[in-house]
Amino acid sequence: MFADYLRIAIRSLVKRKMRTYLTMIGIFIGIAAVVSLIGLGQGLRIAITSQFGILGTDILSVQASGTSFGPPGSGAVTPITKDLIDKIEKINGVDIAFARYIESGTMEFNDEQAIGLAVSVPEGDKRKIIEKMLNLKTEQGRLLRDDDTKGVVLGNDFKKDDTFGRGISSGDKILLNDIEFRVVGILEKKGSFMFDQSVLVNEQSMIDFLETDEDEVDIIAVKVKNEREIDAVKERIEKLLRKERDVDIGEEDFEVQSPQAMLESLDSALFAVQLFITIIALISLLVGGIGIMNTMYTAVLERTKEIGIMKSIGARNRTIFTLFFIESGLLGMVGGIIGIILGMIFAYGLAAIGRLVLGADLIQASIGFNLIIGALAFSFVLGTIFGVLPAIRASKLNPVDSLRATK
Amino acid sequence: MKLIKLDEIKYSLKNLKNRKLRSFLSVLSILIGITAVFALVSFGMGIQAYMDELGEQAGVDKLYVQPKGAGMPGMDENFYLTQDDIDFVAKIKGVDDITGMYFKSGELRFRDQVKYYFVIGMDVKELEFLMEGFNIDIEKGRDLKKGDMNKVVLGYNYLLEKRIFDKPLKVGDKVELNGEDFEVVGFYSEVGNPADDAQIYVTLEAFEELYPENAGQFSYVMLSAEKGVDTGELADKITDKLRKFKDQEEGEEDFFVQTFEDIIETFGSIITILNGILILIALISLIVASVNIMNTMYTAVLERTKEIGIMKAVGARNSNILFVFVFESGFLGMVGGILGVGLGFTVASIGGAVAAGAGYSLLKPIFPWYLIIGCILFSFLVGALSGLMPAIRASKQKPVDSLRYE
Repeated sequence: MFADYLRIAIRSLVKRKMRTYLTMIGIFIGIAAVVSLIGLGQGLRIAITSQFGILGTDILSVQASGTSFGPPGSGAVTPITKDLIDKIEKINGVDIAFARYIESGTMEFNDEQAIGLAVSVPEGDKRKIIEKMLNLKTEQGRLLRDDDTKGVVLGNDFKKDDTFGRGISSGDKILLNDIEFRVVGILEKKGSFMFDQSVLVNEQSMIDFLETDEDEVDIIAVKVKNEREIDAVKERIEKLLRKERDVDIGEEDFEVQSPQAMLESLDSALFAVQLFITIIALISLLVGGIGIMNTMYTAVLERTKEIGIMKSIGARNRTIFTLFFIESGLLGMVGGIIGIILGMIFAYGLAAIGRLVLGADLIQASIGFNLIIGALAFSFVLGTIFGVLPAIRASKLNPVDSLRATK
Repeated sequence: MKLIKLDEIKYSLKNLKNRKLRSFLSVLSILIGITAVFALVSFGMGIQAYMDELGEQAGVDKLYVQPKGAGMPGMDENFYLTQDDIDFVAKIKGVDDITGMYFKSGELRFRDQVKYYFVIGMDVKELEFLMEGFNIDIEKGRDLKKGDMNKVVLGYNYLLEKRIFDKPLKVGDKVELNGEDFEVVGFYSEVGNPADDAQIYVTLEAFEELYPENAGQFSYVMLSAEKGVDTGELADKITDKLRKFKDQEEGEEDFFVQTFEDIIETFGSIITILNGILILIALISLIVASVNIMNTMYTAVLERTKEIGIMKAVGARNSNILFVFVFESGFLGMVGGILGVGLGFTVASIGGAVAAGAGYSLLKPIFPWYLIIGCILFSFLVGALSGLMPAIRASKQKPVDSLRYE
């Protein structure tokens, strides 16, 4: 039975090719726009969030509050002090805690100078933990050791010529704040600026040579013993810091966050932008839907006589409704399929052009299975929704009047 | 000839009226697209107008010297400009007034609440001048006066309930800034973005007492050029001389000089690009609408094949037929345009009011007459162009075949 409906619907769509074609153009332009924009947006979100490559759901960071521009710790009003590290380590459920100092300064190589950030690496046992946490591996040379007083490990981007006119390799000498350091290793490429542009220095060298104030810690990184307890540990740390810094609940001048939570808040901001753009693109689908409605009303009008004949030989209202309903749904779905294909071509094409022109992976497309199925279902639903009114009109036609209709 | 045109128009309108539903749907589709485009463009133009105004009032003669460094200026304590630098620049020919400006994040406590915003410390005369340039007045209370210690002037948002603090502040309130007692002496009027409306202003002297370790480390240096001096040339000259003064090599300066126009332009072009992308996406819906109109018109041509044949048989020329159909579709477009502009006006006005309520009164749409006329004309063109192909088909029909068409 359904197969018959389908055959009739397809036949009448094929019969008025031009109109079917134009109606479908309306749908597939809209679907292509929505699919490619969502895909590109998704890709951009992945590209941005993957820049913050801290892995692990068992990590917490402790920072002083302040205005949140610039590198961590730089906007702080009352800095976190070093003595808190030992105190945090004694908290139940905390595995280990260590300081991360972030210092801006100049770097010189090949007689060229640049401004950037150096980040500290803790010494002793804690070194292993951070290396594992950040999954640090070198492409050249080796990672820092405790006896590297003036040693530095650089991110992979420094291998390129663009910053200093010449690439740096392990064994080279560079100047940090006019003090000579030896490059002991270059990190593997990770595709994230946090790693690829990092300048890692031992904690003690940073304090001894780069004028870092030992007592003003930028971030304390905390590893909890059991990640299921992370919220409880977070509360315990907050309680300790409130006591130590003498502030009440609600007046905290510090933040304890998991990197995961920070990422999520960044991601939700990006999502809001993506949503707004998608809504604007959806407008064109609405217009496409109106096109379907228009076509279907026209079809009902043209086929009035046909409907009258069908009714007079026993077709029920429901049958007529289903017939037209399937027709408009088909228009939507076929338009949707073409739109998805076009949208994918467009999104991946743009990403490829972006890679060629910018040489960076920032423009990425990510079109998942969900998006494809979602878009397909949406276009079908769109077709049927806008087909409902014309189909109702068709089904309610009076057989006698319909037969009498001239055309 | 004129009379004939009038007849053709009447005939077109009658046809549109005969198929009310289809005409209505075509108008609806173009209306939606025009609404989106009109609203987005009006916002873009509003921001552009705001920037132009700012550029003219605040600062054709202003220049800024900023330290480089990581992150925002003022956030990086290792890079700053010193009093020596300022004194040196002051002596460069073409420089009129010069002042250093401090910029650091501070902790503001009112009753039991603590918030973190930027504290700006600068010369009171320059501050007044800067604010005037941005069209910002004192909303309540008074300006800062030279020698004001422990006095603070706050941005507009502090006057609002539950915006920054739960309770609105008033002149005379006591607040704690980084743990020191301060008295609120005034509030600025609204700038229109949440960051600027939350700033905390103190005198140079008060700032140096609040942050003794940062005294003499300026995050910004603001200067004005003498009358008739080209700011772009002056910026180059300052860069050149200050670099030599600081003994740095070209391309490796730890500072940069920008004219006010540069800043506005950079900001303006980012906004223009973003707005442009949104408009492009909105234009997609107009393309779809034009396909819809084309569809409607092809159908109309088909339906009226016999009619066209009759008209041709009694002497209508191809051009008459062409005109009838192009006019029909153009008219559909124009009606959609007029309604779309009306709806777009409503949407943009509501959007502007919502943005202002959220603290972004900067986002104010404007509706110049040329935008309105332009949108209506554009929608007429879209309609007429989409009707062109169907109209050509109609005009080229052979009268004999058309008459025979069933």
